[in-house]
Amino acid sequence: MSTATGLVATVDVAREASDHRIGPRADGSDLQVAAGRPLRLALLGGRSDATLVGGRAAALAACADVVLTIRGDARSTLVERAAALRDARPTTVLLTADGQDGSALVDLAEALRLGCASDRPAVLVAGHENARRPVLAALAGLPVEAMPDAATSAGRDAIVARLRAMRRDGGSLVLRDESVDAAARAVASATGRAAVIADVSGTTSSLAYASASGAVTAVHAHLGVGASADRVVAGGGLDRVRRWMPRAVDGPALLERVFNRARWPDAVAATPQTLALEMALARECLRRLLAEAERAEVAFGAARSAPLIVCTGQLARFPRAAQTVLVAVDALAPETVQVIAWERPDALIAAGAIASRTPADVMSALTPLALVASLAPRRVMTVRVSDASGAVEQRVGRGAFLLVPTRGAVELTVQGIASATTSEALALGVVIDARGRPLELPPRDAERLPAVGRWAAAVDALPPEAER
Amino acid sequence: MSWRYGEWRAAHALPIGVLTRAGEGSEVRAGDIIAHGTTYGTPQRVAAARRLGIAAADLPRVMRVSSGAEVERGTIIARTGRRFARAVSAPIDGRIAHVRADGDLEIAPVVDRWTVRSTLDGRVTRSDEGTIVVEGAAWGLQAVAAYGPDATGDLALAVDGAGDELQPTRVDVRLRGRIIVGGARGAAEAITRAHACGVGAVVAGAVPAGGLRVVFGEDVSARGRSTRADAPTVLCLLGFGAAPLPAAIFGPLAAFAGARAAVHTASARLFVFAAPDAVRAETALPSLALAPDWGSVRVLEGPAVLSAETRFASEITGPAVATPDGAVPAANVRSLAATPIAD
Repeated sequence: MSTATGLVATVDVAREASDHRIGPRADGSDLQVAAGRPLRLALLGGRSDATLVGGRAAALAACADVVLTIRGDARSTLVERAAALRDARPTTVLLTADGQDGSALVDLAEALRLGCASDRPAVLVAGHENARRPVLAALAGLPVEAMPDAATSAGRDAIVARLRAMRRDGGSLVLRDESVDAAARAVASATGRAAVIADVSGTTSSLAYASASGAVTAVHAHLGVGASADRVVAGGGLDRVRRWMPRAVDGPALLERVFNRARWPDAVAATPQTLALEMALARECLRRLLAEAERAEVAFGAARSAPLIVCTGQLARFPRAAQTVLVAVDALAPETVQVIAWERPDALIAAGAIASRTPADVMSALTPLALVASLAPRRVMTVRVSDASGAVEQRVGRGAFLLVPTRGAVELTVQGIASATTSEALALGVVIDARGRPLELPPRDAERLPAVGRWAAAVDALPPEAER
Repeated sequence: MSWRYGEWRAAHALPIGVLTRAGEGSEVRAGDIIAHGTTYGTPQRVAAARRLGIAAADLPRVMRVSSGAEVERGTIIARTGRRFARAVSAPIDGRIAHVRADGDLEIAPVVDRWTVRSTLDGRVTRSDEGTIVVEGAAWGLQAVAAYGPDATGDLALAVDGAGDELQPTRVDVRLRGRIIVGGARGAAEAITRAHACGVGAVVAGAVPAGGLRVVFGEDVSARGRSTRADAPTVLCLLGFGAAPLPAAIFGPLAAFAGARAAVHTASARLFVFAAPDAVRAETALPSLALAPDWGSVRVLEGPAVLSAETRFASEITGPAVATPDGAVPAANVRSLAATPIAD
């Protein structure tokens, strides 16, 4: 027997080892949001790195794990390539054929057949038909699918759709990355302005930018603050996470914590130190995504000036709104005046899942937290914040980072910028960030720890124990 | 994560260059060679179908040695015609590593040989060029992560108690070929010494993550790494840092001392080949708790009692479990019976 649901669908949002139900039904759900099956993808391309760019972008958009990348240059032998493919155990191989590297691609296809004939991974051969033809003969015996050229936007979309289909278990499952994309599109459509969704969960991280017209550019990866925390450290280096910690912690001890967290699903950060670690991991998840996007030549520049940044997942479940704002500002380094909002726990992800099937109300899932003004003053400048309590003028110099708490609707006027920025009531207030871009952290502990601690204290982002 | 006697399945990945392998249905014992083969050097490409003037599809029909066969320099590999014969011969000593779709051959010199051994007593249920799967009955213990190559050997205790750290001084060449059991912690020094002394594997409640980086490289992760390289074999039973072993795990380990055992690193499992009634598996299993700083794992003695919603020092509010040391988030407590997360 099922419960009547009216017009509201019930959605189960998977966390690491549990589900969070959003909606009126108690007996079951209409949709499930989950990370889906992990997809181990090998990228094979022509002689130049450029042939792999489209494949990398498709892998990022489809949240596929790239376990191996091989270019068709002559630096490795057939046997070495085959052994690398055998060891990588890919479940899917994307071979991008561009027509100019015919013999090199055939060599790669032969290596694939030698290395993986017994495991039979799905092979997607992307490219023009004439470029694909010589490769197909070398892949005899493997399950091959022809795909459009990965260098074109339409081709990439087709590859992303196919890769996502491989990750999906059933018809009622919406992949978390699909849900984030749909939520970004729906928020942009509802506000009529560009929006960014920054999603960090235990297992995956996503950045989705939707332009005012609804076009979505997104990158997703298995980087997270929980089960995928060890990937953040293994890929980016422990020091990149450690640099965000407001207290001195030695590398081995930090690594222990990260590894234990990675094997303990849904663990809760009960102490300020572990909370600070989660925040540090969240920053690096987003920074790694931006770096990967740049490497795959995914244009994400406009995202830094989108008027609205919405934080979801674990990023929106920190106990203080200031913690979410601080992480988002540190990681995304916005460049103009932007509103940062968060979702009610999993509400926007659930709304995004619904929006992927039918129009959905996404705005009710959001709470605006702060208006962030990123400034690069050459000399001291004046910022005026007006709210229900009156107006406050603040003089801002280079390197300043401060919070002006507000009440009710807010108007922000920055010296030198003609028009004022207005916002509805904010949970936190106005954050002035004049630390400069790109945001650089001092390399030495003696300078970095006070700086990171000062920034956290400026917005009241950490419980007292972690700030010491 | 607790002991269980039953049917287990162990998949053994094979490298390229298989010469012989156990067939499906064959009975094997842990430690038996189930496949052996050769490691290839730089291959030479030899035009075969083109030289013979035949279609690539017809090449297998005229080949005198099969793909994968070892050949000496000058060996006739394929030949056509009678009076006006055309032939393809091997340019080097080696093996026919691969037949290309266009009818060319890749002949590679043999630079090394390898073997793969079973980690289970049982029957081969799948055997192909890439994998051999063995299924059989054993006492098994699922761990959190394993590193290094598979290992087989007799189980030996190298600590006096479940909470002891494995001391390097307790490891010497008399333990060669054994799988040694540490207690709460096996540090990098003990692991490398064990490897140098020829110890088969080190099993411990936890291993320092920093030590794993020292031994296995900077890119090591929490989900283990199965390799074929000459490296130590390490099994982390409960976590990283330190983790005293509960009696439900340490008791059977002590009782199994001297029994044949194997570590299958791909699945992070310890198999012990002993009679089903050799030990009594505990039914009342304790709970494990993640330390407040996440730096270690500890055992909660007695039943875990759920307390009221609690606000922790991090200001996160949630259900908690009451312990003598204070409230622990319920999510940070799990039964020993819980299976570690899949990757």
